[in-house]
Amino acid sequence: MEDAIPIVAFDKVAKTYPNGTVALSDASFGIRKGSIHAICGENGAGKSTLMKILFGLESPSAGQVMLDGAAVNTVTPDFAGRHGIGMVHQHFSLVPSLTVVENIILGHEPKRGVLIDARRARDEVIALARRYELDVPPDARIETLSIAAQQKVEILKALSRETRLLILDEPTAVLSPPEIEELFSRLRDLRDSGLTILFISHKLHEVRALADTVTVLRAGQVVDTCPLAEVSDAEITRMVMGRDVDVSRRQRQAANAPVLLELKNVSTAGNDPADRLTDISLTIRADEIVGVAGVDGSGQRGLAAVLSGLMALSTGTISFAGTDMTRASTAQWRRAGLAYLPADRFTQGGTPALSLMENAIAGTDGDPAIQWGPFLRRGAIRSRVQAMVREFAVRTRGIGERLDSLSGGNAQKLIAARELAGAPKLLLADQPTRGIDVASAAFLHGRIDAVARGGAAVLLITADLDELLRLADRVIVLFNGRIVADLPNKTDLTPAALGPYMLGLETAA
Amino acid sequence: MMRSILAGLTEFALTLVVVAAVILAVLVPVALSQPDAGEVLRLFLLGPFGTMRHVGNILELATPTMLTGLAATLIFRAGSFNLGIEGSFFVGGIAATAAALLLPLTGFIAAPTAIIVGALFGSLACMVPGYLKVRFGASEMVNSLVLNFAFLYAGVFILNYFLRDPNAGALMSYRLPADFGLDRIMQGTRLHTGVIVAFAACIIGGIWLYGTRGGLNLRIVGLGPGFAQHLGLNTSALIMRAQIAGGLIAGMAGAIEVLGLYNRFSWVALPGHGWTGITVAILARENPFLVIPAALFLAYLQVGGDMLARNLAVPSEVVGLVTAAIMLAVTATAIFRHPAFLRLIRDIKGEEQAA
Amino acid sequence: MIEAIWNNLTDPALFATVLRVMTPLLLAALGVLISDRAGVLNIGMEGMMLSGALVGVLASAWTGIPFVGLLAAIACGALLGALMAGAINGLGTHFIITGIALNLAAASATTLGLYLATGDKGMSGALQSGVLPSLHIPLVRDMPILGPMLSGHHMLTYAAILSVPVVSIMLARTPFGLHIRAVGADAKAAATAGVSRNRTQLYALMLSGVFGGAAGAYLSMGYVSWFAQNMTAGRGFIAIAAEVMGMGTAWGTFAAAAVLGIAETTAITMQALGLPNELMQMIPYIVPVIVLTVYAARRQAKARAHS
Repeated sequence: MEDAIPIVAFDKVAKTYPNGTVALSDASFGIRKGSIHAICGENGAGKSTLMKILFGLESPSAGQVMLDGAAVNTVTPDFAGRHGIGMVHQHFSLVPSLTVVENIILGHEPKRGVLIDARRARDEVIALARRYELDVPPDARIETLSIAAQQKVEILKALSRETRLLILDEPTAVLSPPEIEELFSRLRDLRDSGLTILFISHKLHEVRALADTVTVLRAGQVVDTCPLAEVSDAEITRMVMGRDVDVSRRQRQAANAPVLLELKNVSTAGNDPADRLTDISLTIRADEIVGVAGVDGSGQRGLAAVLSGLMALSTGTISFAGTDMTRASTAQWRRAGLAYLPADRFTQGGTPALSLMENAIAGTDGDPAIQWGPFLRRGAIRSRVQAMVREFAVRTRGIGERLDSLSGGNAQKLIAARELAGAPKLLLADQPTRGIDVASAAFLHGRIDAVARGGAAVLLITADLDELLRLADRVIVLFNGRIVADLPNKTDLTPAALGPYMLGLETAA
Repeated sequence: MMRSILAGLTEFALTLVVVAAVILAVLVPVALSQPDAGEVLRLFLLGPFGTMRHVGNILELATPTMLTGLAATLIFRAGSFNLGIEGSFFVGGIAATAAALLLPLTGFIAAPTAIIVGALFGSLACMVPGYLKVRFGASEMVNSLVLNFAFLYAGVFILNYFLRDPNAGALMSYRLPADFGLDRIMQGTRLHTGVIVAFAACIIGGIWLYGTRGGLNLRIVGLGPGFAQHLGLNTSALIMRAQIAGGLIAGMAGAIEVLGLYNRFSWVALPGHGWTGITVAILARENPFLVIPAALFLAYLQVGGDMLARNLAVPSEVVGLVTAAIMLAVTATAIFRHPAFLRLIRDIKGEEQAA
Repeated sequence: MIEAIWNNLTDPALFATVLRVMTPLLLAALGVLISDRAGVLNIGMEGMMLSGALVGVLASAWTGIPFVGLLAAIACGALLGALMAGAINGLGTHFIITGIALNLAAASATTLGLYLATGDKGMSGALQSGVLPSLHIPLVRDMPILGPMLSGHHMLTYAAILSVPVVSIMLARTPFGLHIRAVGADAKAAATAGVSRNRTQLYALMLSGVFGGAAGAYLSMGYVSWFAQNMTAGRGFIAIAAEVMGMGTAWGTFAAAAVLGIAETTAITMQALGLPNELMQMIPYIVPVIVLTVYAARRQAKARAHS
């Protein structure tokens, strides 16, 4: 006998951020009490935003959130906590220098007079841990615990206030398989004891293993909500990825161009899974574009960082054009011919407060055409930047304007103009056309292709599979820091075909 | 083009409004406490322009703070909080005094040599904390704050044991040889050639910051450290160099102040021009060109305050309060980054909505 | 010099001097500690001390009761702390610039206040301010060796020393202390637990001001009964250095203040032995730099060993 009123329901919830980004446009579905409900979708689909709205960290621009059938308006984390909603964040919300007990009781400490009742706090935490079978050393500082143990503390913290609904955001991103098993069995126990569980995941095999019901989000909208028993993996994949688009592909070049970039058994350490690489071996030839697909946080950031000298390897070697670059600095990579279009345009690709002119010539030290000794030759710079602006069709009121006066697409074109100016030998493009208009994107695609034809090796990291399939000669898929597929970009390679690799269902290295 | 000038003026206008509000907030109560309120306002606001002598005072008071303001600008532009400018200024003064008394120089190389000596020794007060930060990671802010006083006492030691004139009343040095003094350039005032150096330094500083590769790199390091890293710039070297340059300029400022205004060295406490320089740099929004009007403006307030003090027995410390309040108000992001204000600027510029 | 340091600790008179010199540093450093743990390094402590020193003297002279002066100094400090918090979290000013502004404003305001009250800008000699008493503990004072060491110190010295365990317990074992530590370590994580950064920092800065005001009152009403222009002479900055040396704990800060107290007393002793005044005066300002640099170097070496 099911409960008619869902414990939580979303009714046409929408969220637009002040900078104009539309994160959610129409999310409507209900969560049945006592079920394990999964939310699935690509990055940018709106999953995290929806959870933040539910937990009170953000407020919706439109629509209603309903708890037990009643609409609630301003939800704050404290309100959520008092109404039995607990959240286990993807990036833990624990204070590293405090102990397990301190983190769990923070904000609702048991008191004895003026002091914290330390004994009662400790007893309560131990009882809580025992009740949910999540054993943690109560007096240890968070920063000394393993990630899996920290997650247990994060879960306990979420459960510490008479919780009825537990939200988990990508809970297995940081766990090893045995730890994932243990987590799942705990979650099932929690469900059996009456808790409702809501979890976000892009790993389909986990969703199928754990959840009763799944909601698929795509581009800020709910595609469908259905019981897992009634839907196949292929159908879910199709819902997540969207329809296949007929894309034209790049003409593949002959495969005997020289190898330019070679990574051998590269691994990196790091707390954040987005930085972690495990045993990556990869070669890229001249005039070759290798596309990197993968759900966000699968190691792309680490790959870009090691190829630009910003992060050290823990094992493995990298060589470029015959030179060992394992320990090369960013300056050395650039001298070797690196051009880099970073994912974060306005914090890594340029300085928003400086002008277009200044951004366009940043880093190109000592070029006599624009520099006379230490002095910047204003006139020469002006004409050069105007030429760049013309060539890359950057729409701007004037090259003296600040970089942040440009739209995202135009700013990216300017950054590309700067990076591609020096006939690079290695182009690292990370989300090069994210959030920019179609015309600019097409233009940049042409440029990237031209760079490759000029003999460069190109690594294209992108979440836009259409772009990936249009440009790449080869596609590698990252999952959990490993390369799980290395496929030639033939016509039968579609987003749907890539889906299973990206979602961790298949490996074909 | 018109639009962005207008937008820039809007920010400037808001700054003016905020500054005026602060001044009036302090000035009006003071005026009302006096029998003739109008006289208070007239003296304070217009008095400093009344006679050439007062205008000369403004320039003379602004000379050291233009230089310390430039020093602070360079250091802040690097994103550093090295507060050793005060100490550098003092050491610059005492070192120049020592040079003047100990070096047997005459003619037109005397003063510049002493100034260079002042700059070199003065830069230690910024360089030591800077070096400790680069090499060991120790906080340059805390170290520079404390070392200011260490340098003060070191300087007083040198004054007392090596340079002191036993015949003078209080603790002060021997008379400085006339050759080392800076020429006066305005009759009836104490305005000296140092003011030309100050103007020139600020203009050169501005040209360097906005017109050279080194200046551009420094601005990138300060405004966008992530970008600087991605470009492969040697950020720690650039930051260190900025601190050394700041120390040299502050030391030069102290030397010029002593050689220009005094014929004996008599500072036994930190003179305070370093702190004023920080205020100037903030008011000038870390733009060397704007350091000139900012320093002149604060000097103008000081002269106004002195006139109130002399004529109406209103203590001139009021100006210190006003200056501190201005420094705070001008950096209040709640005002200058308020969404409504930012929207106004965007509307004036007619910007495209974010894509 | 080692002999001089040893004497500081064993000779009762010198021991008393160490405590006397240490008191304002310890009080101010504890104030810096509380707000630093909450995430705001109080660069304005110098200004808080100076303001407290003046307000204490003024209130004491006006009412004729030194304790009223102490209370006024403490209240003044708390008010300044609240203003700092208002500027930083309300107006959105940078905490370093706010501290500098406070120091500059206090330097002007205290001279101004002094002048308005006495017509003199240098010193408050004209005012009849009182002195806060020293405490002589009845039975203890008569004990053979420990007597002079334990009894007879200034009340604020006892208060400062007693404050160390109090602050330590407050930080470690009260809800407020837990909030301070959480907000200072990771304000966003604290927010998810419902702990408000603005409110916590406001209270922390006010407490910082309480200690700063008390430190200032000690300077102008401890053994002397007057206020002089700029009488803090950089002690607020030394207190910041002491707090940084103290590695973020109350007892660590106590140890750091003790080290600096010994350094300053040694300097005084050596002045009496004929060594140059000014060079000795440098010692309390150089010792923190050496200690801080050594700490930082060791931390750097440790970090490198781990990576």
